Amino acid sequence: MDPVLRADGLVKTVGSGRARRRLLDGVSLTVAADEIVAVLGRSGSGKSTLLNLLGGLDRPDAGQITLAGERMTGRGARALARVRLKHVGFVFQQFQLIEECTGLENVLLPTRLPGAPRGGTRRAARLIAELGIEQVADHLPHELSGGEQQRFALARALVNDPELVLADEPTGSLDSDNGAAVLELLRGLGGRATVIVTHEPDAAAVADRVLHLVDGRLAAAPAALTP
Amino acid sequence: MTGSGRADARRRAPPTTIAAGLRAAFGEARRGLRNRRRRALLTAAGIALATAMLSAAVVIADGLGLGFGRSAHAADLPDLIIRFDDQQLSAVSKRLRSLPDVAAYSTRLELTNVGIGAAGPGHRRNDAVAEVLVSGHRGGYAVVAGRNLRPTGNEVLVEEAFAHAWGLRPGSTLYVRGLGPERVVGLVQAPDNVGFPLAKPRFYVSGPALERRFGGRLPPRVDYAEVWLRDPRYLNETLVQARLSSFGLRDLRFATRSGIHVLLDQAAGIVIDLLVALSLIALATAGAMLAASAHAEVQRRLRTIGVQRAIGASAGFVVLGQALEAAMVALPAAAVGCAAGTLATYGPSGRLLTLLNEPAPGWALALPLLGSWLVAVTMAVAGAAWPAWRAAARPAVSLLRGADVSRRAHRRLPRLRLRVPTGLVTLGARLVLARRARLIATATTLGLSVGFVLLLLALASELSTLQTDPSALGERYQLTASLAPSEAAAVRRIPGVAAAAPRYEVQGVDVSSLGETIDTIAYPGDLTRFESPPLVAGHRPHGADEAEIGQGLAQALGLYPGQTLAIQLGTGTELRVRIAGVVSSLDHDGHVAYVPAAALLSADRSAPSTIAIILDPGADVARVSAAVDRLGVAPATASGATSNSAALVSVLRAIVRAIAIVDGLVCLYALVQACALTVQERRVTIAVLRACGAGGAAVARLLIGAVLALVIPAAIAGVLLQRWLLGPTLSNLATNYATLPLRAGAGEIALAVAGLLVAGGIAVAWVTYQAQREPVLAGLGS
Repeated sequence: MDPVLRADGLVKTVGSGRARRRLLDGVSLTVAADEIVAVLGRSGSGKSTLLNLLGGLDRPDAGQITLAGERMTGRGARALARVRLKHVGFVFQQFQLIEECTGLENVLLPTRLPGAPRGGTRRAARLIAELGIEQVADHLPHELSGGEQQRFALARALVNDPELVLADEPTGSLDSDNGAAVLELLRGLGGRATVIVTHEPDAAAVADRVLHLVDGRLAAAPAALTP
Repeated sequence: MTGSGRADARRRAPPTTIAAGLRAAFGEARRGLRNRRRRALLTAAGIALATAMLSAAVVIADGLGLGFGRSAHAADLPDLIIRFDDQQLSAVSKRLRSLPDVAAYSTRLELTNVGIGAAGPGHRRNDAVAEVLVSGHRGGYAVVAGRNLRPTGNEVLVEEAFAHAWGLRPGSTLYVRGLGPERVVGLVQAPDNVGFPLAKPRFYVSGPALERRFGGRLPPRVDYAEVWLRDPRYLNETLVQARLSSFGLRDLRFATRSGIHVLLDQAAGIVIDLLVALSLIALATAGAMLAASAHAEVQRRLRTIGVQRAIGASAGFVVLGQALEAAMVALPAAAVGCAAGTLATYGPSGRLLTLLNEPAPGWALALPLLGSWLVAVTMAVAGAAWPAWRAAARPAVSLLRGADVSRRAHRRLPRLRLRVPTGLVTLGARLVLARRARLIATATTLGLSVGFVLLLLALASELSTLQTDPSALGERYQLTASLAPSEAAAVRRIPGVAAAAPRYEVQGVDVSSLGETIDTIAYPGDLTRFESPPLVAGHRPHGADEAEIGQGLAQALGLYPGQTLAIQLGTGTELRVRIAGVVSSLDHDGHVAYVPAAALLSADRSAPSTIAIILDPGADVARVSAAVDRLGVAPATASGATSNSAALVSVLRAIVRAIAIVDGLVCLYALVQACALTVQERRVTIAVLRACGAGGAAVARLLIGAVLALVIPAAIAGVLLQRWLLGPTLSNLATNYATLPLRAGAGEIALAVAGLLVAGGIAVAWVTYQAQREPVLAGLGS
């Protein structure tokens, strides 16, 4: 089976002059459909940078990324936005729900973007039901608990039925119970390639594969961290 | 905070001495400007526009408000002007000397309908006014170019507005019928009269010089006296005494310096009020936007400010940096705006002042303009420093957490249970609706701007109509020909002529006061066939002794339908008519009476007339004109406003257009700034949308929603404001002798709304482009 995501030799340098630093130094990664990959690393190790490159939010200095058969490197901002719309779902640490919109409206937003796949409303209703947040769907974000907010954020990431879900510290703003529940949901996504970057070893427990980002390179995690 | 953020904060470590503090704050401001060039540009545009509006208001208000004072001072305008039928100089001098508190007096003989000519096409007239300066050393006019008259030689002074119109300057030659070629030695302004072409061309000659040239042939008679008092506070007493000693003088009329001032102020006051209101709106718009922009910027930099405070920077240092940055933008931007506003309005207002026989303000404007520049700079600096002060006053720890500057929690909008579509346009509108105070402020300022633009459009349209459309003045004829009344039948036979009739017009004065001149107009038969100014009160005349009078005359003499009007004609005979109705007429400031032709001709058989010609619909004007020409005289085309007021109308239109353009730019700025603020404050929201796959079109839709949320209420408010408040108010104030329907019509409303939408479109396009240039990650805070 073809991998959903393939990244080869990614290089990314940040800063300038003496502060110049090579965050990623030839990172290669392949993620298959229905596979969860956890990338662990210390703060500032380049985990989020890797995630941003994979999602087309940033461009690598070198290397290539192919997502769902589409080459992402060397493409313009508009093309990258189209790829994100159809193939990528993001889950952020701070949930990033829009405060004027209810939970349901937040979930529906990506379906209202020009070029979004059809059937968004139906998928939103199903996702909300699956994630158990129907009762609070018409609540505004400030009326929701952290766990509920992250579930809506997860539903928003999935509503356009992307092949790849990218989660940046998805449990970073949650207590342990809610964190565990969100990880379970990620585990149960099914059929999607998922990349989670985190510095919490617990998050790695749900992953099929755990990688460690050290000195700009990905390495297999110690056996104790692999499920 | 990131490592680079800490390094940045270390670089901005607190200075230890005042000089070092200032240096550091200045450096901080310069760095801020370099880093936020686009925002600085937008801020500069807002400041420049507000200052342009303010300085435009200053230029026009100063000219109109203080022009008379300056002119009166320069011309040494007398405290009292007395007009009367010509008398022997000795008799008049005796009466003047008997008046109390008189410091000086001068006398003149005012000759009307004097033939003049000069080099140049069409420079020949028979209606000039010659002011023969008979006695006295004070003139009541200011020489603005050249020199004053000498009591010898063939010299004249020419009124400046007339000189400009004919291209006369000191050294030019003016041919005066009866005198021959006269050398123009100076140009003058006399603020007791409006200038050419609002009034007839006026020139001054020396009485003693004429006496020397023509010997004793010219009798020393005068009909005009100027009186200067030792103490103008005793003017009333002098006036009472003057009336008492005026026995035997006919057609006596008094005018006081303060009375002339009041008359001019009534007209200028409306324009000044309008401009002050507009400039305040522009200032309020710019102020609100700049403050909101500064607040958003401070909000974005809370953590940096927190770090500065944490490492020991004083609140004053933080505020100083912000204020200096604002000042560095505001100082040149306000100067540019000041120059632009001045350039846009100085020319038209100067032309208006020349028409009013008043001098352009010149360097006297420097101080008020400097004031407006200072106001704009202060507003910008205060708007930037205030949120910085509030932020810096907070505990450093809460700043480091990025807490909101506002101590109050944001109140949220009441939840709507309606099923509102969750599209991007709706979301954009909701983002704007979430900032209710700003929404109200922006929509109000936009609404006021729309209201004023509509008012100006309606005014410009009305002025245009008055200038070009004869029917606006109630005139229904298209051509006039100086033919004898008996030729009317021949004219009627010309193909293309629907109707033709003699139009009699004579000047008369009101018998009761002998002060008000009345344009007396008559047609044989049905008057309304040829002229039908709108009826304001009463009814159309039916009987042979019934007449209509203009609203200006009705107000001046306190007349109303049912009363009798007695007009003394030039022949000395009296014409008495019953007032049937009062009409709105701009002709001769509404000092007109439409009387039956039979009544007029019985009082003055030799009343001058022209033939008024109404054309068939679609008739060839050139062909009809040629046919009339074959009868002996080339016809003239009837114009909207009389040629006298066309120049004034043209100047007013130029001023109105300049103000409308600046006001429109203020609207554009308000919309761009509102969009930019939405993007700036909601950069995370927009970044999230972009991370979800939103491209430029999606961001544009979001901003369209934001713009519509502002534009729709603003347009409604603007239209209501104009139609129900501004239009009727100005219509009532602008002229007390005619009705100007200043309610904006569908065309003007459509134009204003289209303009607002175009401004919104520009704002959306520009801000979308800017938003797309920001990396998504910057918005997400990565």
